[in-house]
Amino acid sequence: MTIDQIADKVKGGGRIDAGEALDLFRHAPTPLLGQLADVVRARKHRDGLVTYIIDRNVNYTNVCVARCNFCAFYRRVGSPEGYVLGFDELFRKIDETIAVGGGQLLLQGGHNPDLPLAWYEDLFRAVKARYPSFKLHALSPPEVIHLSRLSQLAVPDVIDHLIAAGLDSIPGGGAEILVDRVRRLLHCDGKATSDEWLDVMRHAHRAGLRTTATMMYGTVETDEERLEHLLRLRALQDETGGFTAFITWSYQPAHTERGGVEATGLDYLRTLATARIVLDNFDNVQASWVTQGGKVGQLGLAFGANDMGSVMIEENVVRAAGASYCMDEVEIVRNIEAAGFVPKRRNMHYEILGDPICRERDVPRMLELATSRDEGDTHVPDELAKYPARSRGGKQLRLIQH
Amino acid sequence: MSGWSRPRHMPVTNAELTTLAASHDIINLGMRADEVRRRRHGTRTTFVRVASVPAEPRGPLVLPSATGEIRIGGAPASRQAAVERVREVIAASRGIPVSAFSLADLELLATRESVTLRSLLEDLRAAGLELVADAPYDLLHDPRRSIEEANIAGLTLARLTVHRSSSPDTLPLLKAVTELQRSVAVIRAFAPLARTTSPSMPTTGYEDVKRVALARLVVDNVPSIQVDWALYGPKLAQIALTVGADDVDGVSAEDDMTEGRRRGPLEEIRRNIRAAGLEPVERNGRFEAVAG
Repeated sequence: MTIDQIADKVKGGGRIDAGEALDLFRHAPTPLLGQLADVVRARKHRDGLVTYIIDRNVNYTNVCVARCNFCAFYRRVGSPEGYVLGFDELFRKIDETIAVGGGQLLLQGGHNPDLPLAWYEDLFRAVKARYPSFKLHALSPPEVIHLSRLSQLAVPDVIDHLIAAGLDSIPGGGAEILVDRVRRLLHCDGKATSDEWLDVMRHAHRAGLRTTATMMYGTVETDEERLEHLLRLRALQDETGGFTAFITWSYQPAHTERGGVEATGLDYLRTLATARIVLDNFDNVQASWVTQGGKVGQLGLAFGANDMGSVMIEENVVRAAGASYCMDEVEIVRNIEAAGFVPKRRNMHYEILGDPICRERDVPRMLELATSRDEGDTHVPDELAKYPARSRGGKQLRLIQH
Repeated sequence: MSGWSRPRHMPVTNAELTTLAASHDIINLGMRADEVRRRRHGTRTTFVRVASVPAEPRGPLVLPSATGEIRIGGAPASRQAAVERVREVIAASRGIPVSAFSLADLELLATRESVTLRSLLEDLRAAGLELVADAPYDLLHDPRRSIEEANIAGLTLARLTVHRSSSPDTLPLLKAVTELQRSVAVIRAFAPLARTTSPSMPTTGYEDVKRVALARLVVDNVPSIQVDWALYGPKLAQIALTVGADDVDGVSAEDDMTEGRRRGPLEEIRRNIRAAGLEPVERNGRFEAVAG
């Protein structure tokens, strides 16, 4: 098939196969990719709306045993820079989120061997008791697998425990590239193989949770592997229909063990557009301003994205790898309108909540994202003493606490 | 590109320009501008590595070996200080083209020192200066006259710039730049993206892409449309190269290999240009291709 014939197929609403997707990704001119992605976006979103969510991106711990070589955020067990947020700190973050019109935490963290399943259950219950309508979009598939290993419960059982405690939805983090050759090279096959990541999502969807899907590209994967990732997501979506959205971003190399260079801005737009075309069963595709910056993030709206993601309020992982962009609600709304779309607030299920909060009342401008903790804050939350630790350092810490 | 017939467009009329400027279809606009750019430059994409030095006499003077243009930045405190600094830098320049100062700052300095702009520019030329670093169109008191004075004084204008993006309607500015070039005919490169922007309300990606593309379509009598690598960042600069820009300014001349050769400035710019399907050509401040 020629590129023109594949383009006609996409415009006609046909599904493209792996070979056609690879031809498009490799050979279609960037403007054509953008135009085709825009056709698919417009077909799914005829109203010209572009959505965003006001939520806070919180990392409850940076202690992690996974040791992915592309991550600049984690600290080893026993590191003096390791932290666990206390329940009170998290409540304060929730209060701040609610104050700017937010209704959800995106809660993810390292694989900390000293935080047992009970800590998460207690935290979720405490949040729901204090903030009944507040949503918890929490724990990516590798974290669920980590809890399964710690608790020696099967993944579906862990998910059931978490749902009973208050989990509302699961973020699609930790997918990287869903090809085990790549995962081995990134040293992230131990936290979850491709099949394991997909299985967690399958179980979550069966349990009635909606989740997102992500892709971190630009490390060691081939073009074929990048597309295999998309096709595996498309297949699971055909099976369960549980994914609400797809988000892709480029590997951020600064301060990582892997190092290397970041993929270019055009690579991002081409990848985003190809994802929109291939993932014909995903309703929503997010632009990643947090990794690409506001300008390229906004340009993503011309390359298939229909959502500007979150105002985030706080961000730690990407910042650790060298990117420190910020977009508050005023900026997100301005960028959506400047691209010719109508901005609407949404929840995690992509239900429209209303017009921008900043149009209804004055919201303090935010020119820099917050971090988990102020630098130098090393305090250990009191409630950790209640939970058994697995690591030697964690056990010593508990003894000191007692 | 295999099997895709790129649409061919006729020259853009005024009515079409107005429609394109009002549209949110940046892909169509970008394609039109790219076509004009390719007719003019093909895939050739130039870039210059710049070593910036301050305006103060006896200030730091670090000139990495890869420098293609030494740029004396900042406003000179006095006529004497400007001349002195130019002499110092020229003496250390090893033949590398030296550019200095903003023409708008020189207009102000001439007024402050009660001399004509021409005599100030002639002093700088006599001190060995070859290039005025930039002429910010919207800051110049009299753009046509000042650029002509620089030309008569024997100085070359390195680039015409825009200081601040004051209006979203970019067409009047671009048409004015075209008219200016009709009068002066010495503008080699035009950088349409504003040099300063509000941190709380920066220009958007759509605005930047539109401005670059419209600049290529409207300002058809200036050879190069330029984007600043350091100011706008690799991602947006690379995208600008696909919507009308053909020259990259402000690439660091520092040979920083601390994070590996691939992350050095030279490899980064080349990689980004090639990834856009274009051919990188390093130039110096005189727009001469640099071997290597």
